[in-house]
Amino acid sequence: MKAKKGKISVMMGNVVAANVARLCRPEVVACYPITPQSEVAETMSGFVADGSLDAEIVEVEGENSAMNVCLAASVAGARTFTATSSYGLVYMYDAIMQASGYRAPVVMINVNRETPGIHAVSSGQQDMIATRDAGWVQIIVENNQEIADQLIMCYRLAEDYDIQLPVMLNYDGYYLSYLNEEVEIPEQSDVDAFLAPLKNQPQRPRIIPGAATGCGTHGMEMGYVEARYKHWAAMDRAKKKVDEIDQQFADYFGRSYGGQIEEYRMNDAEIAILASGSAAGTAKTVVDTKREEGIKVGLVKQRLFRPFPEERLIAALKGKKAVGVIDRSVGFGWKYGPMCTELKAIAPSIGNVPILSYIDGLANLDITIPHIGRVVDEVNAAAKGNAYQAVTWIPME
Amino acid sequence: MVIKHQWIFKTESPWSDANQKMLVLDTGGWRTERPVLDKSLCNYCGLCSLYCPPQCMRDKGDHYEVDLAFCKGCGICAHECPKKALTMKPEGEFTNEG
Repeated sequence: MKAKKGKISVMMGNVVAANVARLCRPEVVACYPITPQSEVAETMSGFVADGSLDAEIVEVEGENSAMNVCLAASVAGARTFTATSSYGLVYMYDAIMQASGYRAPVVMINVNRETPGIHAVSSGQQDMIATRDAGWVQIIVENNQEIADQLIMCYRLAEDYDIQLPVMLNYDGYYLSYLNEEVEIPEQSDVDAFLAPLKNQPQRPRIIPGAATGCGTHGMEMGYVEARYKHWAAMDRAKKKVDEIDQQFADYFGRSYGGQIEEYRMNDAEIAILASGSAAGTAKTVVDTKREEGIKVGLVKQRLFRPFPEERLIAALKGKKAVGVIDRSVGFGWKYGPMCTELKAIAPSIGNVPILSYIDGLANLDITIPHIGRVVDEVNAAAKGNAYQAVTWIPME
Repeated sequence: MVIKHQWIFKTESPWSDANQKMLVLDTGGWRTERPVLDKSLCNYCGLCSLYCPPQCMRDKGDHYEVDLAFCKGCGICAHECPKKALTMKPEGEFTNEG
């Protein structure tokens, strides 16, 4: 069975997110508005006000409460939705750890923005990086259509009985949040059909009024170890599940994103660029141009950030002669960008090749076509045995 | 990896039956003082039970009795008792009880 053709509209990224969140029928929504996410919160409230969404909106006084409301509603059995960014994400830091520890399948949109310390109201992935060890699945998307499609897939992943993990869907603030782009919004009946398999799964445990049950409260000694082991194992299972759900989405809706990673012109590539988010779109253009110049370059778009797509990255990059990694954040304490550091951890399986780290696109500074062109040229030179710089802060040169 | 661990939680998420699992730790061993009831003063109002943080006051029908396996000896029950029916006494007075 195939989905019907959805309605094509030109929509802002945040409005896409809210429209598709509505189609996923969350029962409890608690969002605190923050730039560049505010339209998500506003639009969701509007849907409940005009009757097009039958959900409980909890008007919270901050993000910490937003996440605690979603967590509580989730362990009571509800489907929940929230969205935040930057300061909001770190303000709910204890609550997001609580949610993952409880294995509550909360779905949250995080509109990537720079983090506190330097008051940058601008794009960057530092917020996501700051929460990477909180036990959430973290997915990064490239454009507005991918926001729409991935959000539907996030519910399938989070609420899957074998997974039961909260999922954070990341997209670039400013670049996508305020970008008006052509988007196909699926029909309600098709979103219902795609999410329907969740109804056939065993019911996860939930709070029952009057019953003396507890969750996350008995973590002494081996209880803690067991809970962490199960969480760790579920994160590992989530990798294949992301690929499976992507395949099912492709079969039904006709759009595929490659699952954990997207490989662009990687088959015969000799060198590779690894990027994520909206910059991956620019990188595809650069790959095409550089191919015309005779450089056999390919792109790996990392969609799944947590869990780390180890096996897929090894398969994609094994045998390549050099890799350049573009990070939109800083890995304090490491020389390299966070994604580059992680790629280096699997370097023995890829081969003993140069891995070049690039820091670019902080604080809304564009990751431009010339910037990525330069990365390709330098990675190409390193592949030929030329000396190279281990880390380059592109805007600083 | 060969798992030798005996599973504590029946579920994937760390859920458990609070009546069975919540009070597994013998927190009574942390106590330096215990509440002692003068039944002649108790009017069975239940405030000691309501205020008890680990909920270890047991309803005996005409009074409440502390579960010494879990009472940490915080003294809140004695502090809140309007009839002063509960008095905190040092554990040293009960050493012969083992």
